[in-house]
Amino acid sequence: MIETIAASRCPRCAILVAPPATYCPHHPVAMTPMTLSGIGEVVTYTTLHTPPQGFRSPLHIAIVELEGGARFVCHGADTKGLKIGATVAIEAIDDIYYFSHLGAMDRARLFWRRTGRAGDRVNAIARSLAKRVWKSRSVNTVE
Amino acid sequence: MQEVYVAGAGMTRIGKRSEPLQDLMAEAAHAALLDAQIERPDFIVVATMNPEEFLGDGNFASNVATHLGFAEIPTVRVETATSSGAASFYIGFSQVAAGLRRSVLVVGGEKMTHLSTPRVSEIIGRSIDPYERSYGATMPALAGLITQVLLGRSGSAAREIAQVAVKNHAHGAKNPLAHFQQIVTLEEVMESRMVADPLRLLHCCPISDGAAAVVLTSERTHVRVAGLGQGTDTLAVRHRRELVTFGATRAAAREAFAMAGFDPAHVDFAEIHDAFAPFELISLEDIGLLPPGKSGRATLDGDTALDGRLPINPSGGLKARGHPLAATGLAQIVECVWQLIGRAEGRQLPAAHRALAHSIGGLATNNWVTLLESV
Repeated sequence: MIETIAASRCPRCAILVAPPATYCPHHPVAMTPMTLSGIGEVVTYTTLHTPPQGFRSPLHIAIVELEGGARFVCHGADTKGLKIGATVAIEAIDDIYYFSHLGAMDRARLFWRRTGRAGDRVNAIARSLAKRVWKSRSVNTVE
Repeated sequence: MQEVYVAGAGMTRIGKRSEPLQDLMAEAAHAALLDAQIERPDFIVVATMNPEEFLGDGNFASNVATHLGFAEIPTVRVETATSSGAASFYIGFSQVAAGLRRSVLVVGGEKMTHLSTPRVSEIIGRSIDPYERSYGATMPALAGLITQVLLGRSGSAAREIAQVAVKNHAHGAKNPLAHFQQIVTLEEVMESRMVADPLRLLHCCPISDGAAAVVLTSERTHVRVAGLGQGTDTLAVRHRRELVTFGATRAAAREAFAMAGFDPAHVDFAEIHDAFAPFELISLEDIGLLPPGKSGRATLDGDTALDGRLPINPSGGLKARGHPLAATGLAQIVECVWQLIGRAEGRQLPAAHRALAHSIGGLATNNWVTLLESV
């Protein structure tokens, strides 16, 4: 099941922030509450080996970009094998949010859910595959 | 606007100090006043980031002024997290520039080494967005998140970042007031203990005690304040689109260079806020001292070393001189002044006419760029 994450949008500049804020960080305007689905791309991550009091070491922290560009800070079970740009799901356990890696089946289900008509679904899966091939190619050429 | 000059500069040795903070601040302030040959300034600006929690002392402007023997001189305290020293310099500058005062003492300091590292980290972390803090984000954690992006962009970034620490330790070894006076090797940096993956212990500045002070006047001296700029950004790092460039630094640099009327190519050397080694590379490009994407290569090539074409952090930077929070922005300015007037013993730059000091407050939420020139 995909989590719903509370967020807010600025009626003036349309910036999305999560969790919701009373006022836009850039405008003295009240934000409009809304929700986002808990799926996103990893912007960056770290493993903290000397966490502050109240946290256990090692502490995994990631910034995940949700739909619409809202960036979300969450924990995770591990950052091993995690890559910037990877798609992760966000789950809440006791009101604390965690990211988790998505397997191939999860990805397929996501595309299924996100796209409407059958043709769109096939296109989306094809686009995703093409993107992955292209990404791996460009990485190879850089090195 | 009245021209503003630096009439005197002074600072303590940075490191683990046993004296009370008030004594450290008095040592720096009296040295700066003696240097300026001014017994009583018209106004005092005090910079401390968090004496309430580090020491349990409040009303700190009056506390310091009274301790200095200046109970009757008007005084204020200025705080913008880790850039408080640079902010206090700006307030002192504006008092003189506006013609409100003829001489201003600006003094900053912090004392933290008497507390445990987790406790210091927690107190410094108060400057982080509360939600991000609730997920365990500390300054090193946020710096780790930023460094991860930097490493993903280039295969040589790990060596470039490590070289910043190697260079600044080499500079600190020539500065008798620096916290660290020993060199480190690239291997030592790259194999040091992991703090916030991929950020390692030797990428991070130490926890230090110390104080620094300058005296500003409207009377002509050998050092003129050419320009100042402040830039700000969202408290929450997650609200920013870009992580490996600091909008607050870019805005501060734009404002400072516009006031000074010259561009980054005219800067001879700079003191940069390298609280974490990658921040020096990011900041050099944000300020415009080096073109985008070139700071790492320039560092590996030795361009930013003492004998390079653009010496960066001749004092040793936050990395080696040390980072007593609110003292740091002023300690940078003291180094710039000493270089400009030929008093930087053991590390004097041959042709230093225009200097830049860059200070980061919080995780780049309140940054400053100050330009000084010899006249």
